[in-house]
Amino acid sequence: MSDLDKAIAQLRACRPIPEAQVRELCHKARELLIEEGNVVTVTAPVTICGDIHGQFHDLMELFRVGGDVPDTNYLFMGDFVDRGFYSLESFLLLLCLKVRYPDRMTLIRGNHESRQITTVYGFYDECLRKYGSANVWRYCCDVFDYLALGAIVLGASNTISPNPEQTEMSTEDIEIEVCNADGQIMSQFPRTPRNARARGKSPNGAGGTTNGVAPGASGGPSGGVPTGTGPPGSGASGVSGGSVGNPAGAVLCVHGGLSPLIDTVDKIRLLDRKQEVPHEGAMCDLLWSDPDEIDGWGLSPRGAGFLFGADIVKMFNYRNDLSLIARAHQLVMEGFKEMFDTSIVTVWSAPNYCYRCGNVAALLELSEDDSGLGIFARSNGDVGRSDGGVSGGGLRNVLENDLKPGPARRYRVFQAAPQDSRGMPAKKPVADYFL
Amino acid sequence: MSDLQRRWAKAKLNAAMPVFNELDEEGTGTGTGDESDSGTTTRSLSYSVTSETSDAVPSFPDDDSSSASSSSVSSTGTVIPSPARALFARPLGIPSARTLDPIPWTTYFERELLLPTPSSPTVSYHTYLTSPVGKGPLFVTHHGAGSSGLSFAVLSSEIRKRLPTAGILSPDCRGHGSTIAPEDPLDLSLDTLSEDLYRVIMLTRDAMKWKELPPVMLVGHSLGGAVVTDLAKKGLLGGALLGYAVLDVVEGSAMDALTSMQTYLSTRPVGFGSLREGIDWHVRSRTLRSSVAARTSVPALLMLEEGDGERPWRWRTDLARTQPFWEGWFVGLSKKFLEAKGGKMLLLAGTDRLDTELTIGQMQGKYALQVFPEAGHFIHEDLPEKTAVALVDFYRRNDRSALVLPPKVSELLAQGKKV
Repeated sequence: MSDLDKAIAQLRACRPIPEAQVRELCHKARELLIEEGNVVTVTAPVTICGDIHGQFHDLMELFRVGGDVPDTNYLFMGDFVDRGFYSLESFLLLLCLKVRYPDRMTLIRGNHESRQITTVYGFYDECLRKYGSANVWRYCCDVFDYLALGAIVLGASNTISPNPEQTEMSTEDIEIEVCNADGQIMSQFPRTPRNARARGKSPNGAGGTTNGVAPGASGGPSGGVPTGTGPPGSGASGVSGGSVGNPAGAVLCVHGGLSPLIDTVDKIRLLDRKQEVPHEGAMCDLLWSDPDEIDGWGLSPRGAGFLFGADIVKMFNYRNDLSLIARAHQLVMEGFKEMFDTSIVTVWSAPNYCYRCGNVAALLELSEDDSGLGIFARSNGDVGRSDGGVSGGGLRNVLENDLKPGPARRYRVFQAAPQDSRGMPAKKPVADYFL
Repeated sequence: MSDLQRRWAKAKLNAAMPVFNELDEEGTGTGTGDESDSGTTTRSLSYSVTSETSDAVPSFPDDDSSSASSSSVSSTGTVIPSPARALFARPLGIPSARTLDPIPWTTYFERELLLPTPSSPTVSYHTYLTSPVGKGPLFVTHHGAGSSGLSFAVLSSEIRKRLPTAGILSPDCRGHGSTIAPEDPLDLSLDTLSEDLYRVIMLTRDAMKWKELPPVMLVGHSLGGAVVTDLAKKGLLGGALLGYAVLDVVEGSAMDALTSMQTYLSTRPVGFGSLREGIDWHVRSRTLRSSVAARTSVPALLMLEEGDGERPWRWRTDLARTQPFWEGWFVGLSKKFLEAKGGKMLLLAGTDRLDTELTIGQMQGKYALQVFPEAGHFIHEDLPEKTAVALVDFYRRNDRSALVLPPKVSELLAQGKKV
């Protein structure tokens, strides 16, 4: 067993590895990450995960639900550290797995992968507590600077892969399937042509939520499991992508969202990412912004990044030949939330956030296109679009919901893992004076 | 699309220019790195900022000769009998006698106002004011229970260093400082207090003959945080309100702390032999961590009760008597904070003070959070520079006159742009 495998075993048991080993690990990880572009290309099948926030036991539960590495190909969208009590073990385990199985593990940067934020929200203090010095924190922060800013998933299938739990069901028309932690199907939604579905909605598409998946403004419980959609059987017939084996458009994964300074994926590729997360600018926005039910761009209440509306997402997806943006960054009580006619989804993977928020978590599985065509749309923001013509009315159509069909999506929803309170630092006494 | 980007960049550039000019030379050496934008829930690593400047009294005429400074103190009417001073001076504990002298409010504010209320003749509000210049914003503050308007004095000068056009209105709450209101029966209910704050703002507008309200930023500490949130939620200020900032109070942890409040209050000294002794106690007990802040704000917390034995300086506000109101101050605070209209910022001395509702709200991106773990409960007195940087950035982000957002897609289409 190599040192790396030993370190993985030790970290899986939630025990930190020695400082010297951390140093070596971080060094290797940096050598690996420096070779990656700002936007990593990942091919389906892939399992996309959102914020972890140092909730180690829940990360273990995530691996149980989603399958172990390297059997499952993972993409984590940042915010590995802070708030939870095991940021160190969680991040180092993910990093070890990255170094051990570089092609089966993709890590991109979240706004908490930053020196400034980790000093306030726990990771720095945790390193100090566990090692007696800030060296390990420093090594980790150096790795943060090399993490990619986004990922593009290519070759995701339009049809959902068969669920081993329920093989008798036809999966041909299913666009969205929601499973519980044991793989049992909780609900399924057949594919409806997006343009048909959205007919009669406001032209800018805002407020047009589809499939009943977590409708409503950002945040707030949306009333649990989604209800059905259009009439049965009316599903895929209208869309060419509804037939078996046709690769869907690409999926962009990023921690926060879009930036007014970024109109193509290639512009992300041009950024100089090897630095602390700046207070403003494109890199900051990618890690800080949130989608919201507004028209255009808005001021973010967070104090960094922007709010962006349905029109912005649809235009970006159209220009870049994307069928979906997957992002994390915002706590969603139901674990995931699709917005703007399923042009963007928020995935949140920290159940019972901060050990008290009472939310469930989710991961998003995109299955592989097994048609054997082996040709992916380029989908990288090039001007030449895969569908050929650039017509003047193209964008108008986009805003009227003539959208690229999204890949079939299976969400696995899971709860917080049971854990004992050992290792949790004693709760600090409340302040004496609070008037 | 490059069009949109170019316009955006241009707008950004234009917006940045005047902002930069406003940071005049005074700001040098006080952590210019912080001033760019730390609305991003950050903790600055430049600790040197605090250590360099925390002991400096802003524009205080004298810092060297103790005799001169005590004469300036006498103008505030505080009597320090010279034999008593020798009696209570502790040669070991007090590094130098000079550092405990009270600092008068005139160091920080342009004027004080005593505002009688036509509708309720028994009430006269006392407030400190520095007027805004031109189109500058007015920071309206509200202190916590047992404190006074001078709690924000040091902060006010730090704000004006960074934003010279800003005004600060810092009233004394009823039952505190020099505000006159019936003390029996005592009414410190949240409704009354937020109504009071609204009246102070309006009366000040009338007294100063402002044609309209300047853009208002509400800043409340502790109880004051509940008061400004309540006022923001009621929407009485309408479009004049840009945003509100709450300093170190969260419903969940405040409610938890209330059970132990009486115990805590009983450990406080009932009185002091002199103002200097009171200041000394605040610094030594680390209730306040900056001696400049203590010298500024503590004198307003104490009252001389004639012929009252060895410790004639008593607390202006009997906090134990305010207990019936405590719960009412904080119940529903988190919900109101998230629901009220306007920019929202929460400044805390520790992340562990967040309750569940605000933890969820924070992770959904509903407000800006700043944490200063090195501060005590009185964040704005312990770390006036950093608090000022945070508040000024918060104002700049929410300043509607300077805000330029990139165009909406529908606008681009309407202009016939090929996007």
